[in-house]
Amino acid sequence: MSDDTDETHQRLKAAVHYTVGRLCQKIGEDHRREFSRQVIAAIAETTFRQCDVFAKDLEAFARHAKRSTVNTEDVKLAARRSTALSIYIQNKSEELTQEQRDLKKKGTGKRKSRDTEEDSRE
Amino acid sequence: MAEKDVEICFKKETISRLLSSFFNEDRTKLSGDATLLMAEMLKIFVQEAAVRSQKQAESEDCDQVDIEHFEKILPQLVSSLTGSTKYSF
Repeated sequence: MSDDTDETHQRLKAAVHYTVGRLCQKIGEDHRREFSRQVIAAIAETTFRQCDVFAKDLEAFARHAKRSTVNTEDVKLAARRSTALSIYIQNKSEELTQEQRDLKKKGTGKRKSRDTEEDSRE
Repeated sequence: MAEKDVEICFKKETISRLLSSFFNEDRTKLSGDATLLMAEMLKIFVQEAAVRSQKQAESEDCDQVDIEHFEKILPQLVSSLTGSTKYSF
């Protein structure tokens, strides 16, 4: 099982690295200063490790609320230490809720509600 | 309709698998909305890291953003998330 995890992590790391690279490229273009490959790799690695921290927090919060599914309230809690981040996440959360309300009004029955528990384990 | 820049973001599935792989318990799951919010949060984390590193490079008059610039801004970036108090005497 641990072999699977390693391979999964390698693939996930690569996916993270890709998006980090694109984000850095854009910021580099905006500021006319290129990011070296090493720094992109370092940011990607740090982001990957930060996910571990977040995941453990999220799991603990959900468990504390006697839930097995992590929801948006848990995410908001994870962001609580940074005021700016908290506000941003709160706004995004409201955006998502509003989007769902709009969709329901339109009566698009085919679209699966994003709020449903998704099986996120492989 | 105005042309919109294709927004760079983490894929929902990537974030979902990534976070799930770090859960301690098999039964812990992640709701769809929580996944989307986490994708946003991680994007901000990366952007903050990149912008701060860029500013550091700028303050040092460097043409390229390199690891040492990132290393210098990393402690404060992390403490902004964990909320460590800045001690000053």
